[in-house]
Amino acid sequence: MKRNAFFAFASPSILIMFALMVLPLLMAVFLSFQYMTFRNITSPEFVGLRNFIEIFEDQRFWRSFEFTALYIAIVVPSWVVIGFVVALFLDQVSGLVRGVYLSIFLLPFIIVPIIGTIMFKQLWEPSGLLTWLYQQITGARFRVNETSVKILIIVFGIWYVTPFTIVVYFAGFQTLPVEMFEAASIDGATRMQKIRHIVIPYVSSLTIFILLFSIMDSYRVFDSVFVLSELNPQFKADTVMTYTFLTAMQVQRLGKANAMAIITVIGIMVVLVPFLYLMYKEQIEER
Amino acid sequence: MDRVTSRPGRLFVHVVLVLFAVYSLVPFFWTTLQSFKTFKDAFSRAPIFIFQPTWKNYQEVWIRSLPDAGSSVGYVILIAVLIITCLMLFARYIPVNPAWIYIGGLIGYGVLLWAIPQSVYMAKYYNYFINTIIVTVFTIITSISIGCLAGYALARYAGMAAVVILIAALAFRALPRLAFVLPYFWIGSLTNLLDTHILVIIALVAVNQPFTIWMLRSFFMEVPKDLEESAMVDGANRLTSFLNVIVPVAWPGIISTALFTLLLAYNEFLLVRVLTQTNWTLPVAISRYTGAEDPAQLTLAAAASVSATIPIIVVILFFQKHLVKGLAAGAVKG
Repeated sequence: MKRNAFFAFASPSILIMFALMVLPLLMAVFLSFQYMTFRNITSPEFVGLRNFIEIFEDQRFWRSFEFTALYIAIVVPSWVVIGFVVALFLDQVSGLVRGVYLSIFLLPFIIVPIIGTIMFKQLWEPSGLLTWLYQQITGARFRVNETSVKILIIVFGIWYVTPFTIVVYFAGFQTLPVEMFEAASIDGATRMQKIRHIVIPYVSSLTIFILLFSIMDSYRVFDSVFVLSELNPQFKADTVMTYTFLTAMQVQRLGKANAMAIITVIGIMVVLVPFLYLMYKEQIEER
Repeated sequence: MDRVTSRPGRLFVHVVLVLFAVYSLVPFFWTTLQSFKTFKDAFSRAPIFIFQPTWKNYQEVWIRSLPDAGSSVGYVILIAVLIITCLMLFARYIPVNPAWIYIGGLIGYGVLLWAIPQSVYMAKYYNYFINTIIVTVFTIITSISIGCLAGYALARYAGMAAVVILIAALAFRALPRLAFVLPYFWIGSLTNLLDTHILVIIALVAVNQPFTIWMLRSFFMEVPKDLEESAMVDGANRLTSFLNVIVPVAWPGIISTALFTLLLAYNEFLLVRVLTQTNWTLPVAISRYTGAEDPAQLTLAAAASVSATIPIIVVILFFQKHLVKGLAAGAVKG
């Protein structure tokens, strides 16, 4: 394909991405240096770095950052481990049975995240099924407070993305070389040894792919935290994203919120750039 | 990997899988139960599993006031929906070109959506449902048509520009929505476009474009190059050979991508929440039921959630193969 033809075909897409992703990002940088509320939305006032200084001194921002870090630290390894183990078990069945299990497992990932959260929340209402079960098992009443809401957010996070890692690992297992297992069986390797020495090394590139995407995705978590933290009237269980949203839409400090979004972008870029570089080299070689 | 063959081993495998299935399904099971309960049953401290089911929650979510001939109108609508759905499901057994049946079915659904509020006084929820359909349909059409052109160009052009665009798209895909959405909000309030469908649709097309072009590119790369080359030797130009030769071959991949675009548009919360004040789509509307202090909202939220999930499950039943294919393709290629 010639250069002109390429641009003729790709220009609508390039234009819309430039106009609605590159420009807004530059706009966000511009707005992050302004003092802007809903009142002076047409005439923002330049304040230099004051928004950024304010954020770094904002205790609530740091608490939301800590919770986001905790969320990532618990949720991401859980996705990888649970997804890997369940995919191993799923690999043991075949045909219709496998299809049925796969569709059931995928359900939490397919439905609207907000609705998934609401359904999950129904279990923990005062009249909910798990509230009752919790009371039967521990003898204590389930209390809604900052800690329990945070635990619920994390448990929900694990529940609704694990299906993705299951499918990724499961698809990866279908390409495992059969001969290696036969050779290992002849040598008398146990099942655990085969998993340890054949399967895990074989899917290591998939694991890196999952880790990278799940760190970035869990950094951006919003919907579920937004709904579940409403259980907690003090609203203290926020992540960086929900706190940014609240700063923009409730406190109405648009400039400060944009500054937070820019800080998040920089944070994600630190993780992303080495990966982008790898992808770049891969694409160059593929040409 | 080789199979577990011993009897206790097989049993163990199935026990684990069944337990995980239960874990995946519990919220759906419980919410569906709650949605059919009366207020009193839903609030009992010990969970009730056997009760007199009621449609009242669904009725309250969807319908504001029943017409006098309420029940017969309801049956007519239900039968019409069933007939259209069955026709589309079994289209390939009917001796007419299936494309006509699909088009006719979609028009039929459209007429029904228009006719229902003429005969029954529907609640706000119905408006949100219509909003969701409008936003989703137009997002898919726009996103896929410009995405196909770009995906094809990226699959065939070997120059540096293509690599740069692909990598940039990947970077944008990883960034948080809020970084784009707040500027959209600013533009929206400066241009008075806030709360319109058009702004939501354009924004959705843009934020999903990186994903769309990557996925479509991977499907177009599977199409052999000889195909359009031989068409072009026969005198067709690039655009006509693309439309007449490449698109039909890549059609299953395009459907897969459209399905994911549908899910992304239907699921979007943050963007719609910021850019609209009254013209919500379903996720935003439903989140409103849960924020309220009134505990009576609990069963309504359950009914609203189940109602909004049913269309997605129907779509998935139609296109299950495409969904798994798309997930696996994205995953393996990474």
